[in-house]
Amino acid sequence: MNINLALFIAQSLNGLGYGMLLFLVASGLTLIYGMMGLLNLSHAFFFMLGAYFCATFLNIFDNFWITLLLAPLVVGLLGMLAERFLLRNLENNPLGYIGQILPTLGIALLILTSVSIFWARSLWIETPDILRGFVSIGGLNYPIYRFFIIGLSVVILIAMMFLIYRTRLGLVIRAAVSDTEIVSSLGVNISLVFSVVFGISTWMAGVAGVALTPIFFVNAGFAYQWALESFVVVIIGGLGSLPGAFVVALLFGELHAFGIQFFPKLAPILMFVIMVLVLSFKPLGLFGKRG
Amino acid sequence: MNYRVLTWGFWSVLFGTLLLIPQIFGVFNADILVGFGITALFAVSLNMLALSGLFSFGHALFYGVGAYTTGLALSYIADFPIIPALLLGGIVSALFALLLSPLLVRISGIYFTMLTIAFNELAYGISMKFREITGGESGLSIYSVPSLNVPGLGTFDMGDKFSFYYFALAIVVVCIGIMWFVTKTPFGDIMLGIRNNQDRVAYLGFWVPGSKTTIIVISAFFAGIAGSLLILWINVVSPQSCLHLVNVSIKTFLAILVGGLGTFTGPFIGVGVILLFGELIQNYGRMAELIIWWITIFYLLFAAKIAPWGIMGIFTSLKTKISAWLRHAGASQQVSIIPE
Repeated sequence: MNINLALFIAQSLNGLGYGMLLFLVASGLTLIYGMMGLLNLSHAFFFMLGAYFCATFLNIFDNFWITLLLAPLVVGLLGMLAERFLLRNLENNPLGYIGQILPTLGIALLILTSVSIFWARSLWIETPDILRGFVSIGGLNYPIYRFFIIGLSVVILIAMMFLIYRTRLGLVIRAAVSDTEIVSSLGVNISLVFSVVFGISTWMAGVAGVALTPIFFVNAGFAYQWALESFVVVIIGGLGSLPGAFVVALLFGELHAFGIQFFPKLAPILMFVIMVLVLSFKPLGLFGKRG
Repeated sequence: MNYRVLTWGFWSVLFGTLLLIPQIFGVFNADILVGFGITALFAVSLNMLALSGLFSFGHALFYGVGAYTTGLALSYIADFPIIPALLLGGIVSALFALLLSPLLVRISGIYFTMLTIAFNELAYGISMKFREITGGESGLSIYSVPSLNVPGLGTFDMGDKFSFYYFALAIVVVCIGIMWFVTKTPFGDIMLGIRNNQDRVAYLGFWVPGSKTTIIVISAFFAGIAGSLLILWINVVSPQSCLHLVNVSIKTFLAILVGGLGTFTGPFIGVGVILLFGELIQNYGRMAELIIWWITIFYLLFAAKIAPWGIMGIFTSLKTKISAWLRHAGASQQVSIIPE
């Protein structure tokens, strides 16, 4: 195979994996905004928490699969607790949206500080044995683990689509995204639905965190970067819009992969240039419908 | 006693104390106060936007532009005097604001806040990546601060902490005085009007986007001056210390919130409380930082409902109550700075 073509395919697969993981984080963010009107800045830090729990559970059980199961569950549980005891009090805040964003940032920094106290500062784990090695497609050697990440994200994506578009809970979630008050007046226990959605969102962030740990060094700056990236994805895609988050996340995954190779200086800046343009001329985002 | 006399008395005592501090507490403590003054000037300039209902999370952009402009001017132009360097920082900041405000005035509410975040991150990214100009992560240093030449008084060496204290004090007091004056003019009333009901201001015949641009430019100018003072004071700025979204922009906003959103004096108190708290917990390590974030979260979640307008809000409502009590609850004048 042509070396340039092989490189191109490898980079676009890298971008796809990155974009899918970005979507796992951003989808939770956009769902929470859609339902609760809450721009949750702490979301990506639950993702980092997933990575650190992954290291802990790997030390205890020495098995990647148990870790992949347990760590996101713990993160999801913590997310539900945070929603139940802290973020629920944000309604009717006299300071308006400022009073909603800042507490979530407080929780983000709380997680960041806790991580630097209770865990090591930087983190890297080894790829599990089964997923080590390369597959060869027409002369291109590509790591199995990256295929595994793409597969895992696709499975979660399909499960989420099924949950949202084919089940009763999904019906309630979609209805709550469009109008929370009507749904609660129809006798649905909306606060339970909020807890469940928050739990699922943080669980997905936790999965992304665990899946990412073997291929990246995880540290505080990394979580900060992901927080910004998922935030930008959600804003450009349109707050509360899942398809928007999906398209933009994949786009940014590719931008990240090719940007690093071809214009390393401009890639991180380009993201914010797009954000500025979208916010200035289409503040609701590319796929957003309501304000 | 006359209320007016009391107020003027308070301010003159405060100013007199500030003048005497290096003699009483020594240069080292005065130097801490310079840091407080610079942060307070930055917070007051951010508060100019908050007073108009424009909640910016990206004000560090203008702070950083001021600092970098002064730093670049001093390192590339030989014998550049100190006052023009300071003004240059403010003016370039104001030009940046003028350039960005056509985009900023179009949108309001949460989208404005997010756009300011985007601008801040853009500036941060540029300062990190274009290291030939900005020095990248390690930042920009100046090696000699020019002396201040006052006609009739002589030349003062600004590397000397003692003279720099008075220089910074003068600049901070003059800048805050100008901003205070702006809020007391009819234009200040337009600012309040834009915060409370921007459509009504437009119906009254005022050009709202123009007014907003003016506010942003004024605010950016003084933020730039604060940034210039910062680099003249510590001689080195890095993206971490003057352009960081959380460490500079949002923490200063938090200080305003603690002091009292919507008041002019709130930022001083907020910055004071936060800096004092920082000094107190400095020796207790990261556990103390954890406790700080718990306090912040609980303040924002629970106390913000009881006292949304911060320390100044509590102070004002107490003052209203006491003065009403002093006048036997009769014809008390309603002092209210709390917005709708």
